[in-house]
Amino acid sequence: MGFLLWIIPVISVPVFAAVKNRKILHAVSLIVSASMLPVAGFTTAGVLSEKVLEYSVLGGIFYLDALSVIILDIVLVIGFFAAVFSIGYIEEEIKHDKIAAGKVSLYYMLMYIFMFTMVLALSVRNMGVMWIAIEATTLASAFLVGFYNDKQAIEATWKYVIICSVGIAIAMLGIIFLHMSSSGSVGGSQLLNWTALYGNADKLNGPVLRLAFIFILIGFGTKAGLAPMHTWLPDAHSQAPSPISALLSGVLLNSAMYAIIRTVSIVNKNQGSSQFTGRILITAGVLSIITAAIFILTQKDYKRLLAYSSIEHMGIIAVAIGLFTPAAVFGALFHMINHSFTKSMLFLSSGSVLQKYGTREISKIRGLLKALPVTGTALFLGLFAIAGTPPFSVFASEFNIIASVFDGGNFLLGSILAVLLAVIFAGIASVLFRMFWGTDAEASAAVEATAASEVTAAAEGAVVSEGDGTADRYAKPRETNIAGAAVIVTLLAVILVMGFYMPAGLRELLENARQIVIGG
Amino acid sequence: MENYNQVLSVLILLTSFMLMANKRIKSYIWTFRLQSALIALTAGIMGVRSVIADGSFDVLVVSIIIIALKVIYIPNLLHKTFSGVEYKVEKDFFLNIPLLILICCGLVVFSYFSVSRVAGSSDGIMNAEVVNSISLVLIGLFFMISRRKAIGQIVGFLVIENGIFITALFSTNGMPFIVDIGVFIDIITAVLIMGIIVFKINEKFDSIDINKLKNLRG
Repeated sequence: MGFLLWIIPVISVPVFAAVKNRKILHAVSLIVSASMLPVAGFTTAGVLSEKVLEYSVLGGIFYLDALSVIILDIVLVIGFFAAVFSIGYIEEEIKHDKIAAGKVSLYYMLMYIFMFTMVLALSVRNMGVMWIAIEATTLASAFLVGFYNDKQAIEATWKYVIICSVGIAIAMLGIIFLHMSSSGSVGGSQLLNWTALYGNADKLNGPVLRLAFIFILIGFGTKAGLAPMHTWLPDAHSQAPSPISALLSGVLLNSAMYAIIRTVSIVNKNQGSSQFTGRILITAGVLSIITAAIFILTQKDYKRLLAYSSIEHMGIIAVAIGLFTPAAVFGALFHMINHSFTKSMLFLSSGSVLQKYGTREISKIRGLLKALPVTGTALFLGLFAIAGTPPFSVFASEFNIIASVFDGGNFLLGSILAVLLAVIFAGIASVLFRMFWGTDAEASAAVEATAASEVTAAAEGAVVSEGDGTADRYAKPRETNIAGAAVIVTLLAVILVMGFYMPAGLRELLENARQIVIGG
Repeated sequence: MENYNQVLSVLILLTSFMLMANKRIKSYIWTFRLQSALIALTAGIMGVRSVIADGSFDVLVVSIIIIALKVIYIPNLLHKTFSGVEYKVEKDFFLNIPLLILICCGLVVFSYFSVSRVAGSSDGIMNAEVVNSISLVLIGLFFMISRRKAIGQIVGFLVIENGIFITALFSTNGMPFIVDIGVFIDIITAVLIMGIIVFKINEKFDSIDINKLKNLRG
């Protein structure tokens, strides 16, 4: 049954290649992503009752435990929402000639290859195969990032492919050192198996393992968007079509972080303490949060702002994993879930905003609440959520993490984190909230005030009037993507409910995952 | 037999210095071919030895794949990409060649000191071959940032991959077979994708000079 996770997306790809009718393509995509959900439910139930889901076929390569199943569920659920949103999004883009109608089947093929590689990375036991799958995620999503095929998209794609490929290559070096540290203690058939490595962690060669950790952190950290290896992330996230941005931010970053967590638990068991990994992870995490804070405060592009916020949240997770106390690890895993749901909701709604206004610039957008009543409101609340305001779930997990920092007596780190989070909150509030009120007249006045961008403003203005026209936007405040708006509202409801109620099954999964990471 | 390995690893390192000194895109594709051939030879020798020792063909198969992929297919692909996009030959680097070579020497010394501090170069695991191969990875990284043309970056990426592959070969006698195969599939897809993007960059920016990719900032 678990193999369906691999089979369904793989068989869907030739179907997408064969079908040319757009309606059928959308329907197939919906069926495929929806049919993954019961499989996800089944595997989750299996992991809840058996702790581990594994099969002996193919050399026992399939392996799921609580840690991987949590992230797997995120992948499949967000994947489903992104698939639903894609339908309306793509139709709208075709209507405005942003995407050629013939490219839809390519879009879906790449999207499901991308989904497959992420599922594969999360459901294998062998760390080498996991590396292959994570490298394949870059390759599968490269053309999705560059889907609009204009100058900026091509630039983003090139940076994405080069930086991530090199980063991942460095992670390979780390995997080789991991392999090397296990020579003599792990048997031939179990080479690079995570379970075998973890089981024999105290017999591994310590110094080589530490070297391996550094390379793996740099490598997968590149993919997870930790500063200073984050430079590809804002470009790729802002240039990709919005459903893909949601997948990149909500899902891909988690898969890379998952690989880091697996390595950290081996290294910490071997070293007997979390001091070594902790120092490096906390430094990288705090650096990411600082970088994000600076760029959020000075941001002019709302999709890039959301991308920097992803860097911030990956930094928070890295800090929590670095602390390695039970409460912190629990908080980190919970935070991964919350961040994924909140951020994909924000990217999806930013997609609707982009289609309505035709610009990524914050200064050109006014009166969002009037123009897009549902999406605008959801985006507004979602920004509060991502900035860490109660009662949303991001607040709950951030609070867990910061409380465990103070619990550990780490007052300096705790206060730095608290200040940085406050700065980021202020940044998001001051930069983005002016998008929600006012009218277009104010926006154009604001644009003219910035004399430097006059030429581009004229160009953008032409684009807007070509579209549905300024007056029209307020005369008929309407959502173009009804299903998409429903998805956004659903996600908002999820993060709101998770803020004060955690289902028992989820709590048990998180507890089990915490035990897998920390041991005992 | 150990001496063969040392000689080969030094030769492979030397090809990376040659690469650094190459001025034209054509010549560094050739140097890359030479480097891959040496790596295939190393893997071939190890493969034959492992067939004799315990009858396992894994490393030998891998060496044949390297010949097919990195000596023949990928360099040809790069040639094709290059001749498709290049109108005139230009100077392709920021610093002059003697300085580049000196920095490469510095990288080798750096990797010697840092690697030997980690595990002690005398305990048999971290030997001279591993130092050479890690130097190759670093030189590949440096090559990427020292060239302005997109194809130079692809070659740098391939040199990094070569360095990683021989690190695996020298330190652990190769990775598990399935991992090796997967890595090859990933590399070939990566190079194909990069080649296509190079064409697109050329189409949109009228050049493959990556210094022109400056639209996205902040």
